[in-house]
Amino acid sequence: MSSLPSLAYTLEYPYTRTTGPVVGAFLTGLRDGRLLGIRCGRRVLCPPLEYDPETGASLAPDFVEVGPGGTLLSWTWIAEPTRKHPFQEPFAFALIRPDGADSAVCHAVKASGPEALRTGGRVRTQYRAERKGAITDLYFAPEAEAEAQYVPPGKGAVELTEHLISLTYSEPLAPHRERFAKGLLAGKFIGQRSPASGKVYLPSKGYDPIERVRMTERDDVVVADTGTVVAFTVITPVQYYGQKETEPYIRASILLDGADQPLGQQDIRTIPVAEFRTGLRVRAVWKSAAERSVLEVDNRWGGTGAVIERWEPTGEPDVPFEQIREHNW
Amino acid sequence: MSRFDEIAIVATAQTPARRRYPDSEASLLLDLTNQLLAETRLPRSAVDFTIAGSCDYLSGLPFAFVSNVDGFGAWPPVYESHVEMDGAWALFEAWVRLQVGDIDVALIAGSGKSSPGTPREIFPLQTDPYYAAPLGLDPVSVAGLQARALLDAGLATERDFAAVVARSRRAALTNPNAQVAKDVSIEALLAEPYFASPLRKHDLPPISDGAAAVLIARGKRARELTDKPVWIRAIDHRIDSHHLGLRDLTDSPSTRLAARGVGVHAGPLDVAELCVRYSPEEIVLRRALELKDDTPVNPSGGPLSGHPVMATGLVRVIEVANRIRAGGARRGLAHAASGPALQQNLLCILEAA
Repeated sequence: MSSLPSLAYTLEYPYTRTTGPVVGAFLTGLRDGRLLGIRCGRRVLCPPLEYDPETGASLAPDFVEVGPGGTLLSWTWIAEPTRKHPFQEPFAFALIRPDGADSAVCHAVKASGPEALRTGGRVRTQYRAERKGAITDLYFAPEAEAEAQYVPPGKGAVELTEHLISLTYSEPLAPHRERFAKGLLAGKFIGQRSPASGKVYLPSKGYDPIERVRMTERDDVVVADTGTVVAFTVITPVQYYGQKETEPYIRASILLDGADQPLGQQDIRTIPVAEFRTGLRVRAVWKSAAERSVLEVDNRWGGTGAVIERWEPTGEPDVPFEQIREHNW
Repeated sequence: MSRFDEIAIVATAQTPARRRYPDSEASLLLDLTNQLLAETRLPRSAVDFTIAGSCDYLSGLPFAFVSNVDGFGAWPPVYESHVEMDGAWALFEAWVRLQVGDIDVALIAGSGKSSPGTPREIFPLQTDPYYAAPLGLDPVSVAGLQARALLDAGLATERDFAAVVARSRRAALTNPNAQVAKDVSIEALLAEPYFASPLRKHDLPPISDGAAAVLIARGKRARELTDKPVWIRAIDHRIDSHHLGLRDLTDSPSTRLAARGVGVHAGPLDVAELCVRYSPEEIVLRRALELKDDTPVNPSGGPLSGHPVMATGLVRVIEVANRIRAGGARRGLAHAASGPALQQNLLCILEAA
């Protein structure tokens, strides 16, 4: 049987940060086309800090406009930018001391090529046409290549700044998890029996975490698709970033017959909340082979992907709580 | 007399650095834990404290560090801790924890799989969230700024960078855990194109998956567990500003402070394993540590030959400890670093009995 495709997923954290009186003033300045430093004793720090870096004492919001010219203190030409860099074509990162400041800004320099840059060389502030009240509103260019800009001031102060962290990952399914996923496609639950304790883990992580032994394909066992509800929760969805649910739903842990570890996070939509209970005997109703997908099975928590149409009661008597107490969490 | 109780490394274990390891960090830690327990013949229940260094952003899953605890054996429960740092900082915390005096044995690990993600996109997230992270300011770019600062100050040449790389990758030929090992001339390296000028790709570490672990014990217990304890004589870590514009990138004041803290030159130094992730860092560290020219640096090949992020620093400790245990050195220095351009530095002096 051929390999399943690699996992590919995106992890996102949409940050909205309050800026406070110092960073906020600086970012407001950038939005309005001005570069601000802050007085710190006899020095001017740019970008401005909320504290004296030597003593940690709070700094009064005493701002000074610096630049627009500046001097390159160091630079590096980035031949292959990442997706997160300010420019998608080669550019420079540089330490730039703006005229009138005593510290350096680390920022991007857009230039025709590395030949246009030298340490001690002159650069000038440039602003994006669309500014968002973020550090990315700004960039620099060599003085000879800088464009004259008119930057219309915006309204109000920048009190929030947004940063979407979005990272992509790709990795193959671990060998044991791939066998589990292929089992799901074939309508079977494949667990692993610990050679040390005899306990059956489902889905297995490829090792027994209690006895600390690795498990191999020889330890694979097929587990029944009937089991007992050992725990559940009714979730009322909160409309956070990325939420797709709108109505309350049940997530249940189901201890399959022959397994020692419940299958977690099972989606229950067809059994009414009022009738759902621990101890309930259920059976998996599989989707047709053509409809089954394991794209959501990952290397961590596992999951059962989209292979199960629904869980339905078997009609057997409930299992007494005492018999499932160990799994009731 | 030291103010501190004597604590020794009694066993070490590390995986090879590999471009891609196909199973979990926890499974790597499980193998290492079993190795350490087998070597010391300790039951798992005799380990009083476990601590791991790892990074959830590398794994791409919140609370990935929780599943890593499996690797230590989930049962019986013990005092457990975690640092979102290299395992060398976990070693520091464990050393402090044993100083309390109520427990004797600690298991420390560092692990990281860089293969699923893109390190250059992940590591900007350690930088200032207002001024640097939104720029995607990555460690490679910052290493480029540091490199040019060294050139401009006349403290190094591009040939010096290449010499660090050539020496490290040649040394790695005898290190079975190295990922990149080869005999390559300085001239051949200098003929390569720039990547983050004045750095070339070979000035950067490889992208690695891997893990490392050590078992430490207090004085009497350490002598029971091994006839070759490696004593942690001193350990210290210091940090520089996270605002690059406030730093002199040609120097490492935090390394100098830590060096004073551990007394680097209070005795002869037979070996130094330095966390040189980018070749210019070795120039900065040698100066800040005031190393003699004949002190062997990174006989393992160092991070330029294998960089299992979050274990790389702990591997430096292990390499020094292993050399002392093998009798090839009496007193050695291990260095770990975190953050762009050597922002944070940890030093550890290890010594034979």
